[in-house]
Amino acid sequence: MYQADTIAAVATPPGEGGVAVVRLSGPDARRIGSEILGRKGDGWDSHRLYHGRVRDPARGFVVDEVMFAFLQQPKSYTGEDTVEIHCHGGPYVVRQVLGLVLAHGARHAEPGEFTKRAFLNGRLDLTQAEAVLDLIRSRTDKAANVALGQMEGGLSQEVRDLREQLVDTLVQVEAAIDFPEEEIELLQRAELARKVAGVVDRLSALIDSYEWGRLIREGVRVCIVGRPNVGKSSLMNALLGVDRAIVTDTPGTTRDFIEETVNLSGLPVVLWDTAGLREETEGVERIGIDVTLQRLAESQGCLLVLDGSSPLTGEDRKVMERLRGSQGLVVINKNDLRQRIDRAAVAELLPRLRQFEVSALTEQGLDELRTGLHDCFLDSAEEPEIVVTNVRHKAALDRARSSLAEVHRAMDDGLPPDIVAVDLQEARDSLEEIIGTVTNDDILDRIFSQFCIGK
Amino acid sequence: MFHVKQSDKGKDKVYDVIVVGAGHAGIEAALAAARMGFDTLMLTLNLDHIGQMSCNPAIGGIGKGHLVKEIDALGGEMARAIDETGIQFRMLNTKKGPAVRASRAQADKALYRQRMKRVVENCENLTLKQASVEALVCRDGQVTGVESQMGEVFKARRTILTTGTFLQGLIHVGDRNYSAGRAGDFAAQGLSGSLSALGLRLGRLKTGTCPRLNAHTIDYSRLSVQYGDETPAPFSFGTERIEQPQIPCHITYTNPKTHDIIRAAIHRSPMYSGVIKSRGPRYCPSIEDKVVRFAEKERHQIFLEPEGYDTVEVYPNGISTSLPLDVQADMVHSIEGLEEAEIMRPGYAIEYDYVEPTQLKPSLETKAIEGLYLAGQINGTTGYEEAASQGLMAAINACLSLKGEEPLILSRDQAYIGVLIDDLVTKGTDGEPYRMFTSRAEYRLLLREDNADLRLTELGHRIGLATPEAHARTARKQEQITELTHRLETARIHPSRSVQAQLRALGTAPIRNIVTFAQLLRRPEVDSADLTAFDPELEGVPSDVALQVEVSIKYSGYVDRQAQGLKRFQKMENVTLPDDLDYGQINGLSREIKEKLSHVRPRSLGQAYRISGVTPAAISVLSLYLYKQKAG
Repeated sequence: MYQADTIAAVATPPGEGGVAVVRLSGPDARRIGSEILGRKGDGWDSHRLYHGRVRDPARGFVVDEVMFAFLQQPKSYTGEDTVEIHCHGGPYVVRQVLGLVLAHGARHAEPGEFTKRAFLNGRLDLTQAEAVLDLIRSRTDKAANVALGQMEGGLSQEVRDLREQLVDTLVQVEAAIDFPEEEIELLQRAELARKVAGVVDRLSALIDSYEWGRLIREGVRVCIVGRPNVGKSSLMNALLGVDRAIVTDTPGTTRDFIEETVNLSGLPVVLWDTAGLREETEGVERIGIDVTLQRLAESQGCLLVLDGSSPLTGEDRKVMERLRGSQGLVVINKNDLRQRIDRAAVAELLPRLRQFEVSALTEQGLDELRTGLHDCFLDSAEEPEIVVTNVRHKAALDRARSSLAEVHRAMDDGLPPDIVAVDLQEARDSLEEIIGTVTNDDILDRIFSQFCIGK
Repeated sequence: MFHVKQSDKGKDKVYDVIVVGAGHAGIEAALAAARMGFDTLMLTLNLDHIGQMSCNPAIGGIGKGHLVKEIDALGGEMARAIDETGIQFRMLNTKKGPAVRASRAQADKALYRQRMKRVVENCENLTLKQASVEALVCRDGQVTGVESQMGEVFKARRTILTTGTFLQGLIHVGDRNYSAGRAGDFAAQGLSGSLSALGLRLGRLKTGTCPRLNAHTIDYSRLSVQYGDETPAPFSFGTERIEQPQIPCHITYTNPKTHDIIRAAIHRSPMYSGVIKSRGPRYCPSIEDKVVRFAEKERHQIFLEPEGYDTVEVYPNGISTSLPLDVQADMVHSIEGLEEAEIMRPGYAIEYDYVEPTQLKPSLETKAIEGLYLAGQINGTTGYEEAASQGLMAAINACLSLKGEEPLILSRDQAYIGVLIDDLVTKGTDGEPYRMFTSRAEYRLLLREDNADLRLTELGHRIGLATPEAHARTARKQEQITELTHRLETARIHPSRSVQAQLRALGTAPIRNIVTFAQLLRRPEVDSADLTAFDPELEGVPSDVALQVEVSIKYSGYVDRQAQGLKRFQKMENVTLPDDLDYGQINGLSREIKEKLSHVRPRSLGQAYRISGVTPAAISVLSLYLYKQKAG
């Protein structure tokens, strides 16, 4: 039996879906599952679907309400102990669940690693294996043909280019090593540093584009907060009004709040309308407020709604206290009425948040608010020329960049060229993982990595 | 002291091993076979030219020095020979890191030859004869001996061919050419045909050498001098120190006038007139190649290297040429210091037959003919060190097979010799003579000159080649390394005033907390000798031991990372492919890849993947096929 660590990945296709499956496989699958599901795994029957809640033990709240199954080895896809957690399909929830699993000791699976384990543990017979093989071959042939299916054409060209530059640099270092009597000048430190810095800059642009792409794909979550009756719901409706077509409705069975998505010049913004924040409440309302606070912690920004027609109340101030340090905007609603709010006081309490005066009723000021919201998260409205979308590619780029950081460190430390060459080679190897011209590495891992992640 | 050799018992005498050729490959092969206790016959065209340095009178260099140290660690001869006959020793790349530091020494060519002849003549179990081998004698796909020009048949159970540039050797000088093995020696004419008839595919390679000059006619007064190292470092781990005197070289340069002379006569060079079609090594170009390909360079460096203590012949390293004699003379005379120089022997190019080495097993036995091993330039390599490495390994494996044991295959992470042979049998030569470079090794930081003994002496001892003394010496060194490592990792230095003063004196920053010696040694500017300031007892540590510990502490992060990569590499290397695997019947492999795999017949999945043109997809087909076989 092939012995290994415990791996995890999202087994369903990326993007929005009704349900997403997070799969864990390996000797610790049961332990990790029971830890995040907050119940003893010893009594689980194999191949039975259970209902449960994934909790973040550290932060103490429920991440999602899920169905899950434990598949005892060898009767699982991989032949190892496996736990499958069926959670709600939003990318945010899925990432939270996966993050928890990883935090509890699983390793993120390499692309194709589940299939590789299935193969190594004899769970695939030859017919199946050959079917799998067809897939491998088609992928690999494409890889040889430069562009991987999911890869934007520009990326492979860029990575190829960067690899060329590294090889070029490496060639000079190597030539000076292997031909010391041939009057080949060792690449000057400054020159080497300059070349490496050039590659690092371009790598950084690619790595940053991943974040940009993720924002565009998954959107940002924005909490609409404020004390009751300042017009949060009408503001939300007004913001949605123009974009009805792309509104999706998430049923609030387990969530005591409304979630809607609005498209702001290509940036999907998930708006969470929350229960009014009121201090010192008890009973049912208290629960709603807890949910609001939890959502606020999970969102990437807030829209603080204030009633412009009334002076700041103590409750307003308490809400603002909670928002210190948050990203977002202040919306001063009801500007169709006579304004009695002290804007300077708001600015004093929340100096980092821009203020917008609107009227949810007349829709005055809404366009400015939309632009402001967009710019708040995507200030460089400039779309990167190449967008990295694959997390594996991003990881390889990250590795290449840190190897090159090592080159700088090694040079600063005055380490000799044969040592510097090791870092350069590693950076090159990382780039080759993306474009597929791998020459010396564990091939089985490479082959199976031509698969879609999680399968 | 002499010992009586077993006399030949006429025609029925069967040797264990015959070695054809007495160059650098042949010497190592014959000595290794005899020292492993096998009755060995060495045949050479010319008994006066044993261990001849046909080209540069030097041993070692980058990558090559590594090979020589490995030969020594395994129990070979080359390192000891150059230690005794070297006339100038230099450590190269001293500022480029521990892995690529390399030894090089110039030899007194005649002394080297005489010394090698003496060792060969006095080696137990070894018989030496002059004969020109013209054919192999085979029965049932197995080699049973060789036949000479005179019709004499020598029988043996294993035969090792180390024919160098002698197979149908053809020398070119300008538009003249003639048959020769090298200048002054006959070529071997018949053997190529015999090899082809046995099914081996032959190719043609080219190499060349420079004219030799008379030192009395060189004006050294205007040239810069290059001395050897003050303390020459020996090649052999068993040599304590180099005793003989060192002599300097001189440096001069070609100039635009030289280049004009060459350009004007380029059509008379056989390389450019089309007479020579085979390719020479790009890393060892003739002067006409340099002038044509690097037209923008105004000068090329020439090292004037004496060929020995008692000869006036000088080797002008850097002007290898096959231009006509008159052009050679004009070219030489255009160079500073050589205005009056007299050419004693002309430079020339030589073409010769070689056997594409993908036809060999990693043991260096041919796949086509059982018991036949090839080593050296016949396998498409260049260099004395590459040849010697192969000669040694061919003999070791011939002897192991006589004992009925598995061959000794050094891996790529174990030795440069492993890289060399794996490259040859897996990738072949691609039509260019193969030379070792450190950049060919994936695990360069692990394969250093300084640790060759630690890597290989144990192995050499196990097969009966490395001496018990060498074995004991290496074991002792290993112990001392362990002791010293432990000591440096546990002994501490306190930030006292006197310590801080000493640190300042060493040019390094003061310490804030208590540190171990090892932590201090990790500072780039601190070396192991500096540590004696804090612990005088460290002065007694042998320098080779200190070096090992220093490298492993200073570069531990990097060495560990290479070791990590190594683990992934070994996973693939450990998946073995059966020798009789029928690639033709594996579904899913392209015809081209089937042919390549059937031809090379790799031993492991890792080796299969290094064959050019074998795709990751093919490797997956192969691994699934193996998996199915194993599952039954």
